[in-house]
Amino acid sequence: MRFMVIVKATKDTEAGILPSTEEFAAMGRFNEELVKAGMMEAGEGLHPTAKGARIDFSDGQAHVARGPFDFSGDLAAGFWMIKAGSLDEVIEHMQRAPFPSGQIEIRQVYAPEDFGETVAPELRERVERLRARAAKS
Amino acid sequence: MRFMMLMIPLGYESAPPDVELDPERVAAMMRYNEALKDAGVLITLDGLHPPSMGARVSFAGGKPVVTDGPFAEAKEVLGGYWMIEVASREEAVAWAKQCPASDNEIIEIRQVQEMADFSDEVQKAAAGFAELPRAGRA
Repeated sequence: MRFMVIVKATKDTEAGILPSTEEFAAMGRFNEELVKAGMMEAGEGLHPTAKGARIDFSDGQAHVARGPFDFSGDLAAGFWMIKAGSLDEVIEHMQRAPFPSGQIEIRQVYAPEDFGETVAPELRERVERLRARAAKS
Repeated sequence: MRFMMLMIPLGYESAPPDVELDPERVAAMMRYNEALKDAGVLITLDGLHPPSMGARVSFAGGKPVVTDGPFAEAKEVLGGYWMIEVASREEAVAWAKQCPASDNEIIEIRQVQEMADFSDEVQKAAAGFAELPRAGRA
């Protein structure tokens, strides 16, 4: 099973305040643990929404809005992609993340077998082919 | 430059664990995904199960507190994402506008941090970070 761990934005991340060198080093050690446990696929930080954009598809048209966006507590500041046997395993590891405050959200990633009858086999094959090609590039 | 296109489907925050997908919409999205791939901009993409199958961990005061989904206070949640490599935010926006999204969907475009964005001191502290995921995959 694969999981996405979404790191929620804080007022500091939205203000573009970067973690201290010590916090960075602590996060590096935590990431190394995840790698040693064979769980880490990827991890990235995102620039604040001030450097981003949103595209709203209401009434069938694409409306572009430039950041920054209202701080709702639902904005993302970064993420990990994690391989694990269960949600509980991810929770167990992520509780040890060196965050002094803030929140992370853990969500399971869809795998082809999750789609069942909804998605035709040939479409599932195309998804897999696309994923394989994207991973190689 | 790398950008993340975050798909935010409004209403997904309260979707049941066994949410059904519309095969026609999936097929349209696959054509879009293939266009991204054929243009050489797609790095990776994933879809996420609804939050009712997930969890949140809060670190207020440095102490982890676990809450099972769905999350009553959530106004919006992620439904999935694309990671793309393009030359500018404008190019990312242009791609997002072509997505066959439905009326209740929002795509948020965010630039991904690179090591070069950080100070020398931080880069030293984080030495080897960029190689970590690759090492994990091997």
